[in-house]
Amino acid sequence: MSGTEDEPRIGVFVCHCGHNIAGTVDVEAVAHMASNLPGVAFAADEMFMCSDAGQTLIKEKIKEHNLNRVVVASCSPRMHEPTFRRVVEEAGLNRYLFDQVNLREHVSWCHMREPELATEKAIDLVRMSVARASKLQNLPIKKVNVLPTTLVVGGGIAGLRASLDIADRGFDVLLVEKTPKLGGNVAKWTHLFPSDETGADIIKPLIRDVKKNKRIKILTESKVSEFDGYIGNFGVTVKNLKTEKEERYEVGAVIVTTGFEPFKPVGYYSYGESPDILTLAELQELPRSEQLLKISNGKPVKKVVFIGCVGSRQPGVKGHEHCSRHCCSATAKAAADLRDRVDEVLVLYQDIRTYGKGHEEFHRMARQKHVIYSKFPQNEYPDVIVKKSKITIKWRDVLADEDLEFEPDMVVLASAMIPPEDVEETSHLFSLTRSGDGFFNPEHIKLAPLTTHTAGVMIAGAAQAAKNASESVIDASGAAAKAVGLMAQGEVEIESTVSHVIPELCSSCHTCLTACAYNAISMDETKDPPIAVVTEAKCHGCGTCAAACPSSAIVMYHSTDDQILTMVEAFLCPSPSIQGGG
Amino acid sequence: MSKETARALVVGGGVAGMQAALDIANQGFKVYLVERSPSIGGRMAMLDKTFPTLDCSACILTPKLSEIARHPNIRLMTCAEVGSVTGSAGNFRVKLRRKARFVRENLCSGCGACSAECPVEVANEFDQGLGFRKAIYTPFPQATPNVYTVDKENCIDCSRCVKVCERNAIDLEMKDSFVNLDVGTIIIATGFELFDVSRYPRLGYGQYPNVIHAMEFERLINAAGPTHGHLIRLSDGKKPKSIGFIQCVGARDVQKGVPYCSRVCCMYSIKNAVMALEHNPEAEVWVYYADIRAFGKGFEEFYEMAKSRFGVRFVRGRVAEVMEGKSSHDLVVKVEDTATSKLRLIEHDLVVISPGVIPSSGMDTMAKKIGIDQTNDGYIEISHTFFGPTITKIPGVFVCGCADGPKDIPDSVSAGSAAAMKATIILSSGGT
Ligand SMILES: Cc1cc2nc3c(=O)[nH]c(=O)nc-3n(C[C@H](O)[C@H](O)[C@H](O)COP(=O)(O)OP(=O)(O)OC[C@H]3O[C@@H](n4cnc5c(N)ncnc54)[C@H](O)[C@@H]3O)c2cc1C
Ligand SMILES: Cc1cc2nc3c(=O)[nH]c(=O)nc-3n(C[C@H](O)[C@H](O)[C@H](O)COP(=O)(O)OP(=O)(O)OC[C@H]3O[C@@H](n4cnc5c(N)ncnc54)[C@H](O)[C@@H]3O)c2cc1C
Ligand code: SF4
Ligand code: SF4
Ligand code: SF4
Repeated sequence: MSGTEDEPRIGVFVCHCGHNIAGTVDVEAVAHMASNLPGVAFAADEMFMCSDAGQTLIKEKIKEHNLNRVVVASCSPRMHEPTFRRVVEEAGLNRYLFDQVNLREHVSWCHMREPELATEKAIDLVRMSVARASKLQNLPIKKVNVLPTTLVVGGGIAGLRASLDIADRGFDVLLVEKTPKLGGNVAKWTHLFPSDETGADIIKPLIRDVKKNKRIKILTESKVSEFDGYIGNFGVTVKNLKTEKEERYEVGAVIVTTGFEPFKPVGYYSYGESPDILTLAELQELPRSEQLLKISNGKPVKKVVFIGCVGSRQPGVKGHEHCSRHCCSATAKAAADLRDRVDEVLVLYQDIRTYGKGHEEFHRMARQKHVIYSKFPQNEYPDVIVKKSKITIKWRDVLADEDLEFEPDMVVLASAMIPPEDVEETSHLFSLTRSGDGFFNPEHIKLAPLTTHTAGVMIAGAAQAAKNASESVIDASGAAAKAVGLMAQGEVEIESTVSHVIPELCSSCHTCLTACAYNAISMDETKDPPIAVVTEAKCHGCGTCAAACPSSAIVMYHSTDDQILTMVEAFLCPSPSIQGGG
Repeated sequence: MSKETARALVVGGGVAGMQAALDIANQGFKVYLVERSPSIGGRMAMLDKTFPTLDCSACILTPKLSEIARHPNIRLMTCAEVGSVTGSAGNFRVKLRRKARFVRENLCSGCGACSAECPVEVANEFDQGLGFRKAIYTPFPQATPNVYTVDKENCIDCSRCVKVCERNAIDLEMKDSFVNLDVGTIIIATGFELFDVSRYPRLGYGQYPNVIHAMEFERLINAAGPTHGHLIRLSDGKKPKSIGFIQCVGARDVQKGVPYCSRVCCMYSIKNAVMALEHNPEAEVWVYYADIRAFGKGFEEFYEMAKSRFGVRFVRGRVAEVMEGKSSHDLVVKVEDTATSKLRLIEHDLVVISPGVIPSSGMDTMAKKIGIDQTNDGYIEISHTFFGPTITKIPGVFVCGCADGPKDIPDSVSAGSAAAMKATIILSSGGT
């Protein structure tokens, strides 16, 4: 029934998406028009095509009308193409005999105020899709094996947690850390919120367990220097930074936990002009002592000022627009702890974001201990003046509506979390994109926060966005579950919408090799002359090679020239029966 | 334990529980997903758009719903609750109560013929009581499973539905039943409830028709909601021109027993403020807050956009009182603007209160049955912030999503995956 040689019998399903589409586009008119198109055997509109009811409708109509192609005119294929492909598959059709038209993002949402024109556009798009559908062909469903090892890049708390979970679940881990020591940033902190432990208390047992675990191979002072392959079968070259020696490994999945770097706020609040002006990270790294001493002269500190949002929350400043999430709580905790050892602690802030479990409580405790909180205006930053080893700070207190002045012995800047300096390198290696905050983009910001657009590569912890250590640990276990999900299945399906080189037409010019951004094309040197070949699991189906090939030797499966030109034709010359008003 | 016999139980079918079930099932283990309401989806199914990127909630949730419904390793059990739990990690025996839904799941095709015939109309809880449903109903169009349910409390036993159902799916005599499940591990994902904002009488909720809460607002602007997405006042159906959002109601308030921050209200109100302007660009929209907690990925940027691009006005100050005009049902918000230290009276024709988040109802009983600890606030206690943020005191029992404290969707999803990881370690090792 799914033979593509048969006459096309196309089913067209137009979705209301509640009010989202139907509120603007006359969906009934679209479905009616579609029913008159050549090749269309059935057309209807429905409230929610993606709902169970909508899915059942498609399946029933495929059976009832013996449909061999399906067009759904609904939302963006990003979310639901997999849904509908599965539906047609369950009804016995090849999943590639389906085409989706985006009437929501591309029509109703962007032409909300011109419903008539929107309907006209919707009609054009559906007509084009139907034309394309009649040319769609069966494509094979392919699977690749998944190697049972995961590469974890970065040995901070997130990397350690992910490694342990994967190993405990019975799979192998290759853990690569660029510094000589495991533990990342948390290892450095002396005042951990929300508990009373130090960073070392937390990190040491994790490192011990990781080292003990036979399934985890640890490579410190090492970095990934080369990365290739595809989901399930990645090739990794790891370079030892000291010996410069390189070694090859093969892994099935990757978790990137490269974390963050505390921002050095040069140019903010006289940072660098006095040793007694330091970042919260630098304060945290001072050895724990009975008394807090001035860095400049070793005298006891009596008065401390903390300033929040340093290098964070700056609209229009690239890489510094985000909130760093951990600093309000870290400040509250450090301020409350220090208050026991110094006479006065002042916190200058914009908003207090102690949102987490127990955080509001120690924020309250800080206040009870008479830590003074003072809010400064959003665009009027405090002034820190250093004159002959004396520090003066002037600011406007919003709540008291007063200009204030204070002479602290020490100024602590709660500076931003920014990506590590080599982030660009990591982003290239694993083909990860980055968002405005500089950290890696997840596949979907809400529902897929741990996977990325590179299939088989996960992100966790501060590598994904500013966050605290507890949140990083949760991410890490979650990303481990994704990696294990792949490895436990042992194989994974890959897309068939890839490019293909027709050997007889290839002129060995190498143009496609340089055009492909994903290194998916290589030359088969065993042939004379050599011809280009595509590694399908690496191909993203972007079509760049096909456009570049001077010999027209490259076909894009599922977007063949024929399929695309029919759409253009359908747009330019609607069939006469339709022009006549249908 | 072999994969064929190792099974997990996930209690609660919100976004966290669904993610946990999927991540276990994708490793090849069997999962029972138990949800007490007629459909999975949880609170997220009720939301209109989602911060910080304004995707339509139903649109991104539906694929998850159908993924669950068709997953060969997931056995979905709705209208069900945990009765008792015995045993230990690797070998729990769970007695489940399956409440009668009066419609046979294997027969109902979700066609809705019954509902059209039913003469009884009651307030629809899914729409926060703003719309109506029949006594035989599905809570929302994408409800999963797509099976009708009879609300026996309101049913008048007229049997019209029984007669009209071609598949003979309706059985008005159905009784509750009990099933025993043998599972190796349990994940609690029972989510949250909203704080009852009428406990702040000075804010006028429940007294003035134009004071509503955020979940009601979500339903009002939703295309599938009671007004088909038209933002109107409940008193007179007029389009509101000036809207005030009041933050931290039932959150960060020691006196009301909710000392903690609810984590989501700042962001959902900013989202709803932006949506109000999308619906009516001429409106004036104000947000009264104590601190704006825009801490997640993309949140601060979204907050900034609300201010600079949409012109939402933010006033820092706790609202003292909401008053109603004599005849118009218009409202006046009395607030001390702490930025200027001035007492202000600001007129609105709609006020939206942002309720805080509290533990789900029935949490105490369930925690007792399983033997897990609760925090002072009533959420499930985790074993350690850094070593076990999804682990409970009882080995083999894990927690995720809002069941252990307020969380937004991304954090709930991430926690769902994390709990799944822990659960599968138990399943693969047989509980040791
Ligand atoms: C001042 C301060 C105080 C804080 N206090 C607290 C607190 O009290 N409580 C709390 O919960 N959180 C706190 N945090 C947050 C906490 O530090 C982070 O959440 C946590 O470190 C994130 O862990 P991670 O593993 O994701 O990243 P990181 O700790 O940054 O670890 C990343 C690791 O990856 C390695 N790496 C980076 N790039 C590469 C590469 N290319 N190849 C190989 N390895 C690489 C790094 O060397 C590092 O070891 C604080 C943060 C700051 C700045
Ligand atoms: C007004 C409002 C707007 C919001 N907007 C956003 C937003 O835009 N973006 C965002 O990221 N977050 C938003 N949130 C937060 C979001 O709703 C939560 O993050 C999310 O719903 C949490 O999912 P959950 O699975 O933990 O809990 P829930 O969604 O509450 O799901 C829990 C499920 O468990 C079931 N259950 C409860 N008890 C039992 C039991 N004993 N036995 C069996 N089943 C049980 C319930 O019926 C429910 O289906 C918003 C919240 C509110 C209140
Ligand atoms: S967490 Fe607090 S101090 Fe840090 S950037 Fe955000 S608002 Fe500023
Ligand atoms: S379609 Fe894109 S990814 Fe695939 S081989 Fe061609 S250029 Fe490379
Ligand atoms: S029996 Fe109950 S559910 Fe069925 S139609 Fe009558 S009132 Fe409605």
